[in-house]
Amino acid sequence: MKRALLSVAVLALAASTGTSRAAPYVPRDNADVLAELPPGAAHVAAPVSRLDVALPLAQFYIGRARATGDLRYLGYAESALVPWLTRAEPAPPPAVLVLHATILQSRHAFAASLEELDRALAAQPDNAQAWLTRSTVLRVMGRYAEAAAACEQLSKAGDASITTLCTESLHGLTGHLESAYASLVALPVQYLPEAARAWRYSELGEMAERLGLDVAAERWFKEGLKLAPDDFYMRTAYSDLLLRNGRNDEVLNLLSQYRSMEPMLLRIAIAEKRLGKPGDTIALLANAFAVEQQRGDPVHRREQARFLLDVEQRPEQALAAALENWNVQREPEDVLILIRAAQAAHRPRAAAPALDFVRTAKLEDVRL
Amino acid sequence: MKRLTLLLIGLWLSGVAHAHVSSTGFMTLNVNGPEVDGSLELAVRDVERAVGIDANRDGKITWGELLNSEHTLNQYVGQHLGLSSQSGTCPLKFKTLEVNERVDGKYVWLAFTAHCQTAPESLSIRYHLMEGVDPSHRGLLTLTMGNKVRTGVLGGRHPAAVEASPFLEYLGVGVEHIWGGIDHLLFLISLLLPAVLTRRDGRWEPVGSARAALLDILRVVTAFTVAHSITLTLAASNIVHLPSRLTESIIAASIIVAALNNVFPLVTEARARIAFAFGLLHGFGFASVLADMGLPGDARLLALFSFNLGIEVGQLAVVLGVMPIVYSLRNGSLYRNRLMPLGSAGIAALALVWVVQRALLPSG
Repeated sequence: MKRALLSVAVLALAASTGTSRAAPYVPRDNADVLAELPPGAAHVAAPVSRLDVALPLAQFYIGRARATGDLRYLGYAESALVPWLTRAEPAPPPAVLVLHATILQSRHAFAASLEELDRALAAQPDNAQAWLTRSTVLRVMGRYAEAAAACEQLSKAGDASITTLCTESLHGLTGHLESAYASLVALPVQYLPEAARAWRYSELGEMAERLGLDVAAERWFKEGLKLAPDDFYMRTAYSDLLLRNGRNDEVLNLLSQYRSMEPMLLRIAIAEKRLGKPGDTIALLANAFAVEQQRGDPVHRREQARFLLDVEQRPEQALAAALENWNVQREPEDVLILIRAAQAAHRPRAAAPALDFVRTAKLEDVRL
Repeated sequence: MKRLTLLLIGLWLSGVAHAHVSSTGFMTLNVNGPEVDGSLELAVRDVERAVGIDANRDGKITWGELLNSEHTLNQYVGQHLGLSSQSGTCPLKFKTLEVNERVDGKYVWLAFTAHCQTAPESLSIRYHLMEGVDPSHRGLLTLTMGNKVRTGVLGGRHPAAVEASPFLEYLGVGVEHIWGGIDHLLFLISLLLPAVLTRRDGRWEPVGSARAALLDILRVVTAFTVAHSITLTLAASNIVHLPSRLTESIIAASIIVAALNNVFPLVTEARARIAFAFGLLHGFGFASVLADMGLPGDARLLALFSFNLGIEVGQLAVVLGVMPIVYSLRNGSLYRNRLMPLGSAGIAALALVWVVQRALLPSG
């Protein structure tokens, strides 16, 4: 009986909160601009029917999603692939499956992403991109042995320098941090494709942080951002380094052009809170998390946990979000947020899965 | 190798996903008799993507351009959104366009009414907005029916139709209550344990035929059902009201009576009368659940009926699960002389604890 009552109460609560809603209105002037369209967002009259057009189009949208953090582009990319994904016979081409896997991965639908990759690899066992994406997804999930096996397959199908990056980044998480760092420092840059150079910098920056070499880490991040200013993963990693060292003003400078992205907004909100400069950032984030929660999307649970812990200072709820996040992804950042939330909530035992994981994987990180 | 390079960016960064929420629509539905008042909000950008309103293709959507596309937009929504009730489709009629500001940008606000032939008891929602344009689009629904508010997610792999039926809802609550409310079940089971036996010369003996056992079960269950239906209806209609502390205490006491009667049999043939007499009080207990939940104003009777039906369904399921086992055990002296009296004594002891808790200890 109590349970039924509770669920009714929860429903009512969910309905009354969520997104704030002002009253609708009729604009005064016909010339009032309601929205400005980003590139590629205009109406498309008919779906693309040719694969050689659909593939680069989907790639373009995925690229836009990455550069801007705009999730709608992932939807556009998926819709470009739908004609091939939904047909029963013949099976979708591997290239379509790999792109779909990338879209799913970006939405944190890791299991579904792996399924698409398996289908692609069954049809085309030497698809280097599929092995690389597979290794990445498994790594994010904390399944390091399988991720390493995928890197191994990559060595047969792809570029040797990328294989090294793939393998060493895993070594750096599984008890060989120092040697992995040394071998990436020594990796000759000139042989790497341009995109992989940014990856190397980002990896080096994070390894240096885990080793406690903050000065070196900052140097790697700065160099990497010169090469790839739109790499928002590296930008958030750098801003986390600054936040950890109390350099809050610099965080606001670093992220001032990136207010459209939730992970960036989170760092801005933390810095603003510490500096006593409240803005609309908190409302923006709270809205985005509320909508995601109602949609049932797991995309930003990690950020949500950090938001609840560091901005809203609600450790119990932060811990719940961090535990939910732990079921989805297990990167060093996820270990950190779970341990911090459990401590803040005075429930250190709740962090046991993360601590077990650290022991089993032999994860080294001075921040732990 | 070129493709590999293209995609490398961000491959390793899946840990952070991308900001912005995915395309999301917001819909409210308010059921008022046969009329459903609704509003649908779609991001201006989503409207452009779906129907194309940027007439001069300058990448800026103005209010004037939106007004010029009003007809096309209404047509699009009419094709991709549908409401129907038990009496068929409820045609949509759109009101004039407005704009709503949300924290992530401006949304087109479409108010509409849906006219159903009769007041909806259940409402099915067909939601295919943005289909083929953005497969990750979802609609967040807030539905108000009477004094009940429900929320749901529409679109995608979610079922195309959302049932918002007081019938199913209260049926579910009824089943849940009888299964969660172990006191009602223990009372009934205590009365049913001897149904497979008959009392002869101060001793229990197996009942003669399956038919006799079945009839006895039927009499007890029917008496209990009729009795609690009467008082449930009286209480839910606010005709009779008893303080819940009193009813809850007597319900617990009724279990003791029913269970002890198996250990020290006083009433052997007329257990249906016990079922009826105490069933009246159990009805008040059920009513307190409904009082806490509230009954929908326009569907009181239906909700009351379905809640009661839910209780009967749940109760019947337990009887059907337990009684065949009990029946199969009836010939052994283990059941007659040990399991039934000892089990009943255990039930009585548990109920005694409840009586103390409910009647004597301070509430809360």
